[in-house]
Amino acid sequence: MWQYEKKLQYPVNIKNPNPALAKVIVSQLGGPDGELAASLRYLSQRFAAPCREVQAMLTDIGTEELAHLEMIGTILYQLTRNLSMKEIKESGFDTYFVDHTTGIYPVAASGVPFTAAYFESKGDPIADLNEDLAAEQKARVTYDNILRLADDPDVRDPIKFLREREIVHYQRFGESLRQVTEMLDSKNFYAFNPSFDKKKPK
Amino acid sequence: MPILNEKQKLMRRIQQSCFALAEANLYLDSHPTCKMGLAYFKKHKAEKEALEKEYTEKYGPLTAIQSDSDKKWEWVAKPFPWERGES
Repeated sequence: MWQYEKKLQYPVNIKNPNPALAKVIVSQLGGPDGELAASLRYLSQRFAAPCREVQAMLTDIGTEELAHLEMIGTILYQLTRNLSMKEIKESGFDTYFVDHTTGIYPVAASGVPFTAAYFESKGDPIADLNEDLAAEQKARVTYDNILRLADDPDVRDPIKFLREREIVHYQRFGESLRQVTEMLDSKNFYAFNPSFDKKKPK
Repeated sequence: MPILNEKQKLMRRIQQSCFALAEANLYLDSHPTCKMGLAYFKKHKAEKEALEKEYTEKYGPLTAIQSDSDKKWEWVAKPFPWERGES
């Protein structure tokens, strides 16, 4: 189970609303490499993890991703407060506004709503952990792109924190993959599924 | 950096302490017998518990279950962290 704590993992305090920036940052809420996909990916995959170390890693990183989802929601909430209709029209935020007003909705910047098709839970920890390594790198690239588009230091500071977390998670998942690989039988050259295929009795 | 009030300063210290714990937690998931990692975790755990005790006594609960008043439900008396100045 989970328990909510009334605090952000890292502070978000944005002075100047900027709906144009919110329109691109929303991708890290509900886009293909966003925090919602990340949390659901790891929290779904953990049931097929073959040892407690990897079960813990997927549980704990999946939980941290929920804290990141809250930080992105907070950035969007603070970037879209007190907007005039003129600001909404001129910033291009009108295409989001028409469906969601200033509510926080998981959608990619292109307008595609969140879908579970953004991630896989394959029931095979070798396949899953390889996806997780790629997912962390893709999220890091998205944060790099947001940093290319954002000038405001109040926005860049929490985005830089989130970018750094992707790098740490990549490192930790690399250790998990190495651990699962080392658990395989030495004759298992093609890396069969250690959570499903059983070794035949002699 | 913005000028922080006393409540915000204490929250920053809690966030720093929780961050050290979160980092140690993930590291220990893949290095569960590392003595240095375990000692680091223990040190920050004690620090976090002391800071959270101070915060909840002064500024109200961080979790719903910490609410502890006969007069009012404290959980709804304090703002949520997405409001400006609350994180």
